[in-house]
Amino acid sequence: MANRNFQPARVAIPVLGLFWLAVTTLPFIFVVFTSMKTLQETYTNPVWAMPEQLNLSNYIQVLQGSFLIYLRNSLFVISVSVVLIVLVSSMAAFALARLKFRLNGPLFGLIVAGMIVPLHVTLVPVYLMIRTAGLYDTLFALIGPYVATSLPISVFILTEFMRQVPKELEEAARLDGCGPFKIFARIFFPLSGPGIATVAIYNGIMLWNEFVFAYVLTSSPDKRTLPLAVWDFQGQYASDIPAVLAVVTLSTLPLIIVYAIGQERIVNGMMAGSLKG
Amino acid sequence: MTSITLKNVAKRFGQVSVLQDIDLDIAEGEFCVFLGPSGCGKSTLLRMIAGIEATSAGELRIAGELMNDVEPADRRVAMVFQNYALYPHMSVYENMAFGLRQAKTPKPEIDARVRAAAQTLQIEPLLDRRPKELSGGQRQRVAIGRAIVRHPAVFLFDEPLSNLDAALRVHMRTEIANLHRDFPEASMVYVTHDQTEAMALADKIVLLRAGPEVRTRGSIAQVGAPLELYHRPANLFVAGFLGSPSMNFLPAELVGADADGANVRLASGETLRVAVDAGGLATGTALTLGLRPEHMRLAEGSDSQAIRRRVRAVENFGEYSYLFLSESSDEPLIAKISGDMLDIPDAPIALHVDPAECHLFDTKGDALPHTTAAAPQAARMD
Repeated sequence: MANRNFQPARVAIPVLGLFWLAVTTLPFIFVVFTSMKTLQETYTNPVWAMPEQLNLSNYIQVLQGSFLIYLRNSLFVISVSVVLIVLVSSMAAFALARLKFRLNGPLFGLIVAGMIVPLHVTLVPVYLMIRTAGLYDTLFALIGPYVATSLPISVFILTEFMRQVPKELEEAARLDGCGPFKIFARIFFPLSGPGIATVAIYNGIMLWNEFVFAYVLTSSPDKRTLPLAVWDFQGQYASDIPAVLAVVTLSTLPLIIVYAIGQERIVNGMMAGSLKG
Repeated sequence: MTSITLKNVAKRFGQVSVLQDIDLDIAEGEFCVFLGPSGCGKSTLLRMIAGIEATSAGELRIAGELMNDVEPADRRVAMVFQNYALYPHMSVYENMAFGLRQAKTPKPEIDARVRAAAQTLQIEPLLDRRPKELSGGQRQRVAIGRAIVRHPAVFLFDEPLSNLDAALRVHMRTEIANLHRDFPEASMVYVTHDQTEAMALADKIVLLRAGPEVRTRGSIAQVGAPLELYHRPANLFVAGFLGSPSMNFLPAELVGADADGANVRLASGETLRVAVDAGGLATGTALTLGLRPEHMRLAEGSDSQAIRRRVRAVENFGEYSYLFLSESSDEPLIAKISGDMLDIPDAPIALHVDPAECHLFDTKGDALPHTTAAAPQAARMD
């Protein structure tokens, strides 16, 4: 009888889940543990051993270096970019989802097709444009490409969201005296909250880890963002593995915090289109 | 004074003609109901008055002013939507105040109007709640409140009760009737497919037709007071649409006519007297006799004004019974008789038919004029 109720999925799914948990967390545990070891410990003790004592000296060493400048740069570039991405993509999504105009469909297709353009193809032209614009080696050099490359996926997510807002709300707002912009600002923007959170968090994470544009478009150390910091430190402390891993831990921490707070929204947002559609 | 005037109004979606030849006057303070089967364009017509839908042709005037190209917010209309269309991210108060805020109404006045409307509708304790915390009936009240605060010249209702359960529907229907009494100068235009609602609420019913006849005969099948449409339907469509169960239609042949009425012979061979003026028609003309189920009663003795059939089935409802009688066509003849009836299969039965309550329709489906006054019951009450 018990055998008849046996469902392989009930066993397989938790096992797979545990396996995946190990795959994703073990490297991170290794990074955190090692970042607290002394250089000597890393050579003498086994790789997976716990640190002998809570040793934060690596962190102090890193924070006394230029880490905070990189962090500030990253925060600035990403917050400006994310605000711009949310503004531009939500307005575009509203127009594409709700306004009737010729070429609406093709335009949406064209924007979404931007998702398949490999970023690296655009590197040389973007580099030349930024140079010509006189923005090379400034933080603003990063904002333009960051916003542009994030728009296709953001417009795609938000358009799906705004298509689900009932038509009657738009009509009620028109009767209440709203023009298209107010309908967007007062009705559609607030109602797309979960979608906007998704777009903001998703792009925030992507841009936090962005390396290529930052590498190509900036050169002086005080204009660089965190992913370059890891790279810089790697050169600087080539043999000091615990220090490099302290940098890695510090630069991942903000993401982990954001994800922990917004996890539900990210997951909901990612699935909203498929479930409600 | 006329509040809404539609002249030759039409609506097309691409090549498809939805509404055609709409000529209609709705008086100030009148409660006008757009009634019709699904797909007849009654909601579209309402949305055209609201300004949400553009008119493809014709003139639309509100209080004498041409409104074809005027923005919805500037038409002095307020609309209650079928699914309420409350803004989910705003409180009840904000929902009601939103339109006034857009119109830059001073804050104290907004507050006064919202609170007055909330009091009228007994939703004061709900003002701080979000729509999702409200029941269907409460949401409906808020939607009505949002319309009231704007002090509109015209209230537009788009099937406002169709999402409520049956008991609440009857209750809200009375509230809407009260609203009409409280705002006597505002016109109300109300869309429904429910003829009970239409009969209960309307000063005037506009019955719209659907299908290919729209192109040849226009969208409006008949306009008039509820009882006028019930007792004096202008054509087969109106006669068949109003009333439940619907009117029975029997093929008939004209055998004679005089000043007081006409004699017709049914396919079953019976000859009936009807109080309809068929003077202009030749003997032998094919006609359709219309008989409402509720206008037949059991005949006594050898009644010459009776139709004789066999009972196919009986449905007893306590207060009344439906008799399903055999007819040569597949459609049974239905009679509604007060009280209980024994269900005796194949029992012969004779039903008396009052000449004044018979309707005759010509081959085009138009009603022939009656020789007696409409609504005899109402006349007898005086």
